[in-house]
Amino acid sequence: MTLRNTVFAALVTALMCGLVACGGKSPSQPPAAGLDVNVTIANGQVTPTNATLQAKVKQQITFHVTSDAPDELHVHSVPDHKFQVAAAPNQAFQFSVDVPGNVEVELHHLDRTVATIQVQP
Amino acid sequence: MAHGLGGSSDLPVPYAYAMVGAAWALTFTFALVAFAWRRPRFDPDAPGHPLPSALTTVIDARATRWTVAGVALAFAVWVVLAGIWGSQTQANGLLGAFYVLLWVGLVAASLAFGPVWRVISPVRTVYLLLRRATPRRLSRPRLSYPESWGYRPAAVGLFTFVWLELASPNSASLPCVKSWLLVYVVVLLGGAWWCGQRWLARVDPFGVYSMAVSRLSPFRRSPTTGKIVIGNPFDHLPSLPVRPGVVAMLAVLLGSTAFDSYSSSPTWRNFADRLSRLAHGVPATLSSSILRTIGLLVFISVVALTFSLAARATGGVDRGPRRALPGQMAHSLIPIVVGYIFAHYLSYLVERGQQAVIALADPFGRGWNLLGLAHMQVAYVLSTHPPVLAGIKVACVVTGHITAVIAAHDKALRLLPAGYQLTGQLTMMLVMVGYTFTGLYLLFGG
Repeated sequence: MTLRNTVFAALVTALMCGLVACGGKSPSQPPAAGLDVNVTIANGQVTPTNATLQAKVKQQITFHVTSDAPDELHVHSVPDHKFQVAAAPNQAFQFSVDVPGNVEVELHHLDRTVATIQVQP
Repeated sequence: MAHGLGGSSDLPVPYAYAMVGAAWALTFTFALVAFAWRRPRFDPDAPGHPLPSALTTVIDARATRWTVAGVALAFAVWVVLAGIWGSQTQANGLLGAFYVLLWVGLVAASLAFGPVWRVISPVRTVYLLLRRATPRRLSRPRLSYPESWGYRPAAVGLFTFVWLELASPNSASLPCVKSWLLVYVVVLLGGAWWCGQRWLARVDPFGVYSMAVSRLSPFRRSPTTGKIVIGNPFDHLPSLPVRPGVVAMLAVLLGSTAFDSYSSSPTWRNFADRLSRLAHGVPATLSSSILRTIGLLVFISVVALTFSLAARATGGVDRGPRRALPGQMAHSLIPIVVGYIFAHYLSYLVERGQQAVIALADPFGRGWNLLGLAHMQVAYVLSTHPPVLAGIKVACVVTGHITAVIAAHDKALRLLPAGYQLTGQLTMMLVMVGYTFTGLYLLFGG
């Protein structure tokens, strides 16, 4: 039984190390140009909502917002950002994120999450 | 958004990590049921290895107790003053101290040192001071705590805390947090005035939380000599007092942590948005708060129900003993709760904890710089290394699971009649595997 346990433990450890190594060695992409997100607010409806996006640390992220009502765009990142949205087409809000994490971008008055950006190191 | 603290949350755990964790949990569970010991090994009355008795003397000394209690009380007053006169924004140190240092820090401290809340609880200190300051005739407790209530009031208290954090319309609202604290202090002091210290031991949500977590600590008091000993946490776990509401209390802790993960997943958010669009005329904040309250209750009830049913699902026992089984098995839920709380809130404790301490060094925004802390920068030691963080999170969940099944297996051998010991614990093992799979799935991103 001890032998069996040892062999089993060794197997699982090997498997785990292998997987961790695989996970760590994911091909590093060249720094992407920038992430652009188009957001439309019309009649209290937001498109998109609850989108999942990918980005890198320090990458330029731009939200292009077309809205028919004033609102506030909150970016819950480190450091955090707040933008005043006016009732106007094609407003651009640019920011970048310094610390990896799941960053939520929400419209404060409508209480909707536009997107969650998975910021990878 | 969640926790009233702003900032980003942890990246989801990579798929491979979750799978490896799940594989570990599953294999270990069934290997345990199939091959492990057949006689109970762990004994809550085990003596443990005594530590030098000077340690017990120092820890129990009045001077030590009053110093520690005084420092904790001063810190609590400081935090509350920051909440009252500091900047009324999310950056206020009260929020970080309340949601991170208290809620998660208490788990870490209780795990490392034992039931520390008993010593540091500011309300207990105030109560003891009040009692000393008033004549004995007035301050004598008039009622005895109704023992049939058990830990139920604490479970309710914990629920109001997690409700404020996860389901209230605005968890970052300082007036709400301050009102919660005011009610907490009034209920505890009032009850303690009538019923004495036992009220604090049964009703204080943080006290019961700390007491439950401390059963996983290697340090304990010897049941015979009262001296501090170091021993096997598996011997310590079954010493969790079995009182009404003990399962509910643990279910609140586990269910709320799971709901916290789930409620940030796109699945839940899309569902919540669709429903709130259907509810015309109701303000969006109110309808989403109601929905989250229901979600929270569902998660907690599912944990409580599945655990109770699994504990009861055995042959060979009569109705009375069967009804007692969930309470007698409740201690085996503690490692799962602790593992999942660490998996979920470790980066909060380490990183937001720093943020809270830094904020409290300049509580009123007047440029104070106590202990040179105010100008420190938060070191994002965990967030900047997602693979390490993901590994720690999965390790926490799996370790919690393995500890829980070992404790449940051993207790089942003690409780269940011969002939039903193997079959009687199968449902419990399956339910625990279910909790762990759900936990890993939620960490993976739902």
